[in-house]
Amino acid sequence: MIPRYQKIVFVVLLVVSIAMGAVLVRLRERAHERLLKGEDLAPTVAPEVAPEVQATLMVANDVDGTLVAEARSLPLPVDAEARARALLGQLLEVYAGPGATHPVPGVPRAVLQVFLLPAQAADGKADRQAGGQLAVVDLAGAFADGHPSGILTETLTVESICGTLHANLPRVAQVRFLVDGKARATLAGHADLTRTYLTADQDVAGASPGTGAKP
Amino acid sequence: MTPHSKPLLGRISGWIAAGALTAASMAASGQAFAQGPAQVPAAPAQPNAPAVPQRVAPALRFVVVLDAAHGGDDGGGQVGGSVAEKTVTLELSVRLRSLLAARGFWVVTTREGNVNLDSDARAQIANHATFGAGDAACLSLHASEAGTGVHIFVSSLEPAAAPRFLAWKTAQSAYVSRSLKLAGTVNSALEQSSSADGGDANAAPIPATLARASLPGLDSMTCPALAIEMAPLRDADRKIVTDVTDSDYQAKVAQALAAALLEWRSDAAPDSRPDSRVGAQP
Repeated sequence: MIPRYQKIVFVVLLVVSIAMGAVLVRLRERAHERLLKGEDLAPTVAPEVAPEVQATLMVANDVDGTLVAEARSLPLPVDAEARARALLGQLLEVYAGPGATHPVPGVPRAVLQVFLLPAQAADGKADRQAGGQLAVVDLAGAFADGHPSGILTETLTVESICGTLHANLPRVAQVRFLVDGKARATLAGHADLTRTYLTADQDVAGASPGTGAKP
Repeated sequence: MTPHSKPLLGRISGWIAAGALTAASMAASGQAFAQGPAQVPAAPAQPNAPAVPQRVAPALRFVVVLDAAHGGDDGGGQVGGSVAEKTVTLELSVRLRSLLAARGFWVVTTREGNVNLDSDARAQIANHATFGAGDAACLSLHASEAGTGVHIFVSSLEPAAAPRFLAWKTAQSAYVSRSLKLAGTVNSALEQSSSADGGDANAAPIPATLARASLPGLDSMTCPALAIEMAPLRDADRKIVTDVTDSDYQAKVAQALAAALLEWRSDAAPDSRPDSRVGAQP
């Protein structure tokens, strides 16, 4: 025979456990909502209230395989990472537009995020003394999946992203790519996305693609 | 694929490809052959070639490796409306192989049919075939709807002196200077392409675009290597005049490439050894 006080303790513990479970589920949902809200706060398009500044887009041309510097006046956020993301969003919108010299199908939020980190030295460690930055560009899977396949077109997309970042954020010396937050072998079957791209060669506007690479 | 996830055999054979080949690496490359890619010794001087194809070209031969990109499950891009890139690259490879064979080249192809081959296996085949050869050239053949004419790509790796062991993912860095020279030769041949085929002398040459690119496979090759991408011919309004599936266009490109390789072979300087100078520029 189970004593009465033990039954009461058991029931109380059961109720407390269920209550704690419910609270945990609710807290998890709140944290998830907060994360999503944080993502949405990083703008793909700069807010209209931001002051317009001169920006340079390195626009690719499939016909002659070149990058051409186009100066534009754009409202860009002050934060460097948000600015980089907005710039790349503008660049990819140019490619998705009619009559583009480098046609690439557009997708919503093609650039998920851009992270700016200290550049890596040859040994793979952070090279803080040099002052350069490594930009990690996280592309949307839908963008990579819909990108036209071909060495020229894929290379030009990669080079124009690197060039645009370096033209507007001169401290960006290296660029790496992720797709949906993960490493991916190639953009659409050709251009290597596992490498770190060096932006030093992008100083000359109108140059043919040819950014250096290191493993 | 990260370097750490590469097959161990692939990395080992790549590291030693430019140095001393061991029995282990020979076995590794032999396994790659057995899995699908065909090696075609095209030597007209030896009409009675052995039934079992030789894996390594005789010393001092000029070896050309033709890598028809994609294949098997990997169709590549869509060209000419609905044709898979892998089909066009194989057609171009077969055409070029015949032309080169007729000119006395020792030709090795990475595939002769619709088989799966990853980029590491292609580089393994190229490195194995060119090891010990007198001279060599490796061409990775591609096709695309973007751009116009023929796009010639050299690895974007910085030129470097050949160390004792080459890292698999950057092995091409020891050959970049020579690859750039080969690209110049191919570019010149394409500029002369309209008269080279004996056709209409007034026809415009095939437009060529020279560029650098970072491509898996090409960056691991230990030979002067190029990626050749065929694109449609376009008019002034950027409308397609001749598609990459056009057999005459393919033949013209193949003839220009064969002419370039002839010139490359006849040049006294070329050989398949790594660049001799650190940071050598073309």
